Amino acid sequence: MIRLTGISGGYDTDRPIVHDVSIFADAGTFFALLGPNGSGKSTLFKLMTGVLKSTSGTIALNGSPLSDYSSIERARLIAVLAQEEQVAFDFTVEEIVMLGRYPHQTGLLKSASRTDSAAVEEAMRTTNVLPYRYRSFRELSGGEKQRVLLAKALAQEPKLLLLDEPTNHLDVRHTYEMLDLLRAKQRKDGLTVVAILHDLNVAALYADRVALLREGRIVEQGDVSVLRDGSSIERVYGVRAIAQYHPLLPKPQWFMTPKPDTDVPKLAPFGESYRLTQNDRLIHLMFERPLRTISNGVNGEGLQWIRHFCNFHVDKDYHCPDPVADIRSWMEELGIPFEQAVGMMTAVKLNDMAVVEDETGPYKVLAVVTAGVTNAVDIANDRMPEPVTTPGTINTMVFTDAHLTDGALVNACLTVTEAKVKALLDMDVCDPNSHTIATGTSTDSLLIAATQQGEPTPYAGSGTMIGKLLGRTAYRATRIALEQYLRRTLS
Amino acid sequence: MNRKVWLWYIFAGGIAVGASLLGLLASSVMVSPETVFAILAKHVLRWTWQADIPISLDLIIWNIRAPRVVLGLLIGASLSLAGAAFQGLLRNPLADPYIIGVSSGASLGAVIVLFFQFSLWGLGAFTLPITAIIGGFVALVLVFGMTHLSSRSLAVETIILSGVIMTSFMSAIVSLIIALSQREDMSQILYWLMGNVGMRGWSYVQLLLPFALVGALLLLIHVRELNALALGESSAEHLGVNVRRKKALILIGASLLTGASVAVSGAIGFVGLVIPHLVRLVTGPDHRHVLPLSMLIGGAYLVLADLLARTVISPRELPIGVITALIGAPVFAFLLIRQQAGRRGRG
Repeated sequence: MIRLTGISGGYDTDRPIVHDVSIFADAGTFFALLGPNGSGKSTLFKLMTGVLKSTSGTIALNGSPLSDYSSIERARLIAVLAQEEQVAFDFTVEEIVMLGRYPHQTGLLKSASRTDSAAVEEAMRTTNVLPYRYRSFRELSGGEKQRVLLAKALAQEPKLLLLDEPTNHLDVRHTYEMLDLLRAKQRKDGLTVVAILHDLNVAALYADRVALLREGRIVEQGDVSVLRDGSSIERVYGVRAIAQYHPLLPKPQWFMTPKPDTDVPKLAPFGESYRLTQNDRLIHLMFERPLRTISNGVNGEGLQWIRHFCNFHVDKDYHCPDPVADIRSWMEELGIPFEQAVGMMTAVKLNDMAVVEDETGPYKVLAVVTAGVTNAVDIANDRMPEPVTTPGTINTMVFTDAHLTDGALVNACLTVTEAKVKALLDMDVCDPNSHTIATGTSTDSLLIAATQQGEPTPYAGSGTMIGKLLGRTAYRATRIALEQYLRRTLS
Repeated sequence: MNRKVWLWYIFAGGIAVGASLLGLLASSVMVSPETVFAILAKHVLRWTWQADIPISLDLIIWNIRAPRVVLGLLIGASLSLAGAAFQGLLRNPLADPYIIGVSSGASLGAVIVLFFQFSLWGLGAFTLPITAIIGGFVALVLVFGMTHLSSRSLAVETIILSGVIMTSFMSAIVSLIIALSQREDMSQILYWLMGNVGMRGWSYVQLLLPFALVGALLLLIHVRELNALALGESSAEHLGVNVRRKKALILIGASLLTGASVAVSGAIGFVGLVIPHLVRLVTGPDHRHVLPLSMLIGGAYLVLADLLARTVISPRELPIGVITALIGAPVFAFLLIRQQAGRRGRG
């Protein structure tokens, strides 16, 4: 649709702002132009709209040079939504949208035809501005104005839409509405969109191709995944960007990370940074600061930052269709904010919990385990799982004063699980159905929580110091918990 | 909506006709309407039903009042049209036809003729308006040149600034001439500067007409471009308007109207500023209606103002510029207050 080849230019011919930029956007695609303030995005935009003349390079529109098109011909193909349009006089919304028909009105009198009215109506409908079509444009809010100007651009019925920060004045809802609308136009009418966007995450969600600009030059260009590792963003913007994938879409999103706060008060040593309370109802560990936590707890599952770690005792016959709601209401009763808490459940007597602390080198580990093996299962056994009747389960909580990456957290899960299996083996716990050694119970819970202090550790397997420590501590705690449980059930 | 606009056209056309008739009929010398129409028929249709029209009445109606009314219509229409176009082009509600200094150039030309009392190559009575038109043209060229040298894109701010510079410079020369002139010359110059459409005759109408027609045509075919410019020049460019070219054409059209009007009748104030605003209040800012309606209403307004000017203290005449401003200023103030109050009320 549009292809720029070696474009340079700026406001002064002898001082170009944009240097040798080559980009293209295919028909029906969304191209996002990214870059920090002053990187030349707007200048490049003006070169594309023809407001500025390029000093070298060519811009081709549908294969022919842009300069071959007359103003009117160009306006029939390209519509522009620029920033900050001030209107003189009190035009109504509809009159503003009607301006978009200018390139289509021909003849000397050039009055509005039925096609014009239909296009205007359609543009106002899709952008949702019909409710205030007779209102004065000046009286609208920034977001409403932006939508009216988009309606004007759409009324122009362009093949290519150039947008300069179209979501600037829009709140989240209107931002996504506008971009969804543009995408629908892309799919339905084959509209090509080239947009300057400020929000990298929004760009990643909507753009088919992106170009990252710095000091007037293209730094990266291509599919959004070229920015995936965040290093080019860090280089261009000077802000640390950590990439993660969107949980529902295969698109990268970046977490911008502020410079470390140097004025944080000194942390208490790991051993004093938490309070452990235990009664018949609950084991509760409360940390001073949230810990990076991975867990499969009933509440607070997944990767989180967590301060409160709870293991609730439930009756043997506990049955509830909505355990999450239950746990949340219990937490509420106790004044524990469930948004910052992991909650597990067990039918085991909480008195039988095992608490083991250990340390090696710079690392400290605390393991808190409750164990019951009524539902012990050998995972290698191919019997179908039986419906759980009584929650006899092994709940393992492992806390460490270390900095674990996401991968290391998964690695730690692996290590701690291995330790659990070894403890079950050493204690001769059997799967009651297969009479083989059990590898766990059918409802085990696990959490690994790390303070994220110190140097990041990418691994926590048995080949590392931290992995060894985690495994050893978890093994001992599981064993003690099993011993106490078995002693009670046998007596 | 559309029907309402057509009603305004009918209304505006009606008051233009009504004002002209009133201008023909009402005066210090009472002439019966029948006679007035008979005289008009005699000259326009070359046929009439009254055989014995006194030659003095014929002279008063056809050679004095009729050209005066037609000139009033033309000047009022030209100034209002130019004003509306300048306001739209410069996106400035305070713009008037005199904003870019063409009028002060024309005034200077006229004042020079009045001061030196010369006549050009046998042009006789036409020396003054022709010199004035040349003065206006020179001013326009200078303003264009100044704008072009400082901003290649004919930026609006630069046009206005160049106009201000031109106006102050030309006005300074006019003041200098006034200061240097004799008492009788001085009053003659001042009187001319205040504007007048009387005692001009058909020849001035003939002189004005070509400029008025070309200027009006240039502006009326650019109403859509004026609309497109409302969102700014780059926005208009994106809509496919060849902004530089259209801007130059609109400036030339409005300058033709202004320069010729000032040359013929002096700088009559307020018409070109207030009438477009008045029209915008009823039709909205769409230039497709603002321009033609301003033309009709502006013409009517000036004819009525002239009627007042020559009847209020008759047989003496007031300068028409005094009347337009005396009525125009309070009307403008009222509109401004109403608009601001309305905005506050809504906000």
